[in-house]
Amino acid sequence: MEENKIKGSKILLVEDEETMAIGLEYNLTDEGYVVEWAKNGRDALNFYDKGRYDLIILDIMLPYFSGFEIAKEIRSRSPKVPILFLTARTSSEDRVRGLELGADDYITKPFDLREFLLRVRRMLLRGRWYSDVSKDSPKAKIGDCVVDFDNLTVKSKSRSITLTSREAVLLRYFLENSGRVISRGELLENVWHLSSEVETRTVDIFVSRLRKYFEPDPDSPIYFKSIRGEGYLFDKR
Amino acid sequence: MLKKKRSLWLLTTAFIFAQFAWLGLLGLWIYWYVSNYIIFEQVGTKLSPQIVINSPDVLIFSGGIVLIVAIAVVMSFIFRYFIVQMKMTNLYDNFIANVTHELKSPLASIQLYLETLISKNVDETRRKEFIALMLKDSNRLKKLIDTILEVSRLERKVISHHYNIYNAGAILPAVARNSMEHFRMPENSFTIECTAVSECVLDNAAMQIVFDNLTDNAIKYSPDNLQIKISIYEKSDKIFIEFSDKGIGISGKDLNRIFSRFERLSNPNNPSVRGTGLGLYLTREIIKSHGGKITVKSEGENKGTSFMIEIPVYKDQSGSYLNTLLKRSSKNEIRDDKDGRE
Repeated sequence: MEENKIKGSKILLVEDEETMAIGLEYNLTDEGYVVEWAKNGRDALNFYDKGRYDLIILDIMLPYFSGFEIAKEIRSRSPKVPILFLTARTSSEDRVRGLELGADDYITKPFDLREFLLRVRRMLLRGRWYSDVSKDSPKAKIGDCVVDFDNLTVKSKSRSITLTSREAVLLRYFLENSGRVISRGELLENVWHLSSEVETRTVDIFVSRLRKYFEPDPDSPIYFKSIRGEGYLFDKR
Repeated sequence: MLKKKRSLWLLTTAFIFAQFAWLGLLGLWIYWYVSNYIIFEQVGTKLSPQIVINSPDVLIFSGGIVLIVAIAVVMSFIFRYFIVQMKMTNLYDNFIANVTHELKSPLASIQLYLETLISKNVDETRRKEFIALMLKDSNRLKKLIDTILEVSRLERKVISHHYNIYNAGAILPAVARNSMEHFRMPENSFTIECTAVSECVLDNAAMQIVFDNLTDNAIKYSPDNLQIKISIYEKSDKIFIEFSDKGIGISGKDLNRIFSRFERLSNPNNPSVRGTGLGLYLTREIIKSHGGKITVKSEGENKGTSFMIEIPVYKDQSGSYLNTLLKRSSKNEIRDDKDGRE
């Protein structure tokens, strides 16, 4: 049932390695998605300008513009479109940089095909799910910040921030589970739709991003509290 | 990267501070020595008739200056050494990152196709296409590994080339054409002209690597207008191979760096170029081992690049470098034969 919703989703594949791109395109098309392939950073931005995509799959080492630059550019234009980095760069610095620039997921090459397709499916489903739930309760208040889930903005007296769709989903999960300790594994399973054994660093990076947006002092959080050995506790106050 | 920049900054600051300290100390020392000498000369005998200063102790004074200057010079050498080391470490780090990427990309692609073939019902046409793509990637892996091993052997000087005497007019165009076919160059995208007729001493396989590297280079750096021109001619006991393309060219400041090990030039007009920074280094080393040399010229960016290779014409003279190569090569062949039999 859920699968039918995402059939025909449009994916922008940005990959300069021809052999890799052909294989990915085949597999994604076989899953029922519509794939457009950009061979370099310049083409990727041109494609993005002209089309609407449900997911962007980005390599990092690309001609003309790196994947990081493209992610930054796309995020400045649209906070909602999910971005997945698919790269041979495995260092934690690259991973953190990619996620901090607003990517929703980061997979390193070589990768397991089934896991890759699963992550793609989950990202597309989450995009749908997000647009459904945001209709029900489009606004929330945390401290002096007002979150508008419709246009993904956070407004306070002093500033206005745009959330990415993954940040919005994570925030919504915290709001719905306020006052309860949530483990990293639970967040991975329910927000990222991944096995809780995959890794926990990604969750921490996203929570630190939310702290930057909402906490008066991100080093001493009052809303997104860490519970040692357990996970996180969201205290709406 | 940030750490390296910071440590370079600290090192430079420490070096400048140390130089100021040495010079300051030297100045203070001279000032102290001269002023004390004047005081002693003026009042020393009045205060204590036993103190007699006939002349300053020039030996100790000048010896001290020499020692301080020597320390400053040694520090400069150490500083220079550190800077070179840091540059090498930086290049090496880039090399490791590039090699890792170059290894992982084809490997990931092969794994992707294998998993696809196992898990999906792929039709026959596509299956053949996927197998061809896997072969392409495995060749890429092989070439990368061969280059790294070849460079390693060259550096340990354990390389065993197999030199033979060839007619330059026959062998060089054939090797050049092999490269064009290997890279599937369209017929109208290259020209090979040869007027050389003399004999030369070559390792056929090594010369193939040279032509392959130059062709690969021309393809990588000619994103819009791929045209290769190879001219082979002889002049003054030398055979010249001019390998030109109409690609993005090289700026004057980068020309000297192009053959350095691990060096990779970045060009904003063509940033897609991948590689390890070993290809042209290996090319130069192979040409050197043939008793020749390779130079590069470019009129500037977007004006093409031209590599000029010179190798000596073979003349049967005992004791000449080429004869030594041939002798060494025949010994290698005997040894290889023995190894093969064993």
